[in-house]
Amino acid sequence: MEDARMYALRQDPPQEFAARLKERLLREDEALPARREWPLMKMAASIVAVAAISALLTVPAVRASAVAFLALFRIVNFVALEVDPGRFKALGSEEFSLKQLIGQHVQEIQDPGPATAVLSVAQAGSLAGMDVREPAWLPDGSRIIEMSVTREGLARVTADTTRLNQVMDALGITDLRAPDRLDGQVMTVRVPPVVMVRYQHGGEGARTTRLFQARSPEVTMPTGVDIAALGEIGLRIAGLPRAEARQFARVIDWNSTMILPLPPNSTSFKQVNIAGNPGIAVQYEDSSDTTMILWSSGGRVFGLVSIQEMEQALAMANSVR
Amino acid sequence: MRWITAAEPDWEAVYTEQLPRVYNFFRYRFGASVDVEDLTARTFEKAWVARHRYRRDVAAFSTWLMTIARNVAVDHLRATRRHVPLEEATAIAGGDSPEADLIRSSDAQRLASLLAVLPERERELLALKYGAGLTNRAIAAATGLSESNVGTILHRAVQGLRAQWTQGQK
Repeated sequence: MEDARMYALRQDPPQEFAARLKERLLREDEALPARREWPLMKMAASIVAVAAISALLTVPAVRASAVAFLALFRIVNFVALEVDPGRFKALGSEEFSLKQLIGQHVQEIQDPGPATAVLSVAQAGSLAGMDVREPAWLPDGSRIIEMSVTREGLARVTADTTRLNQVMDALGITDLRAPDRLDGQVMTVRVPPVVMVRYQHGGEGARTTRLFQARSPEVTMPTGVDIAALGEIGLRIAGLPRAEARQFARVIDWNSTMILPLPPNSTSFKQVNIAGNPGIAVQYEDSSDTTMILWSSGGRVFGLVSIQEMEQALAMANSVR
Repeated sequence: MRWITAAEPDWEAVYTEQLPRVYNFFRYRFGASVDVEDLTARTFEKAWVARHRYRRDVAAFSTWLMTIARNVAVDHLRATRRHVPLEEATAIAGGDSPEADLIRSSDAQRLASLLAVLPERERELLALKYGAGLTNRAIAAATGLSESNVGTILHRAVQGLRAQWTQGQK
């Protein structure tokens, strides 16, 4: 019997059936009550949004330098904030997408494309243009089961204050306005290559950990705007109450701080010290208890997302060399 | 912060890619004797409702979806226990009309007839392999069998089918 004959029973589902089923699924989705949980994907999207907003708003008020037309943002510190989950749900919607927030003037100069699977750490390092750091300690029975590299991404963003003000209006923020001088300013967002190594601790179906690392994303933008005022707008958009946003915006170092909004399903978070570097650890409930640790070291940012106890995740993070 | 942009799956693309896999899994699993569309729909309805529980760092999506499909298949078998697979096989292979003869002569119909008399486990693995298009590794992950065990069972099953196919041609 030829192997091809083994596929003789295969046939495409009738198109009418496929369309009918899809329609039914979408109808059922609409009928479901709104979910309280905030899965990792949603949280990640929010983190991206806030990171971008933070970065876009991260300009020193004055930078007197011959080459200081452009200010630079790099991640050094992480700060966790409990914010309004409803607001982030709104920000994740089509109406308030990041592109809308920053004026729909995003020019993608270099598309990073999908992650490329690699076969070795050396290959990952070669593709990413950096030496890949690995945990010196792993739980018993651990092994690498997946590695990938996402190439560098580069985008140019032109600010649109009119749109930003419209968004704030739509969110009910009427006591703040985007600075006029921001309008038409061009910012560049560079996301260096990201290496992901996934470990499995034990046999099939066992717990896993993903370690991400990249040189810090960089944002350059014109100087001369009131960063604290812009930061305050960003925090209000993120859902912080007026007084807290104002106070927070004044004390934070916008040049180097990544804001991490805590998801509603987070059970705990704490500032941590990873091999002498500041970081943050968040535990949240998904289908499994998950620990996420973010820290930076030597101009590089690390993220460790692990389905195991926080102690073990911290031990792994602390051993990254 | 791209490392945590584990973007939510593109459900449109997932649906387009996975629908034929599930649909054909049931075709191989039960042949023409059941409402394949109904079982496929049940699988997708369950998966759609539970999609927030899918963890890409635990299993590939196709593996997760096929686990649901297997459960739907088990429910179907329980509900129709009194219908013996052999009877189904006879029903498929039987028929006296010229039209039925014509259908039976096709490779698809012959394969369906041969699959219908296989033990449940072999038939399920063949359905996962040739219907759903899973790799042996993915089948192992979905069924809890070892990869080598999956390979051995599939090899024997295909050998057996090959022998019967040849015998039927004589």
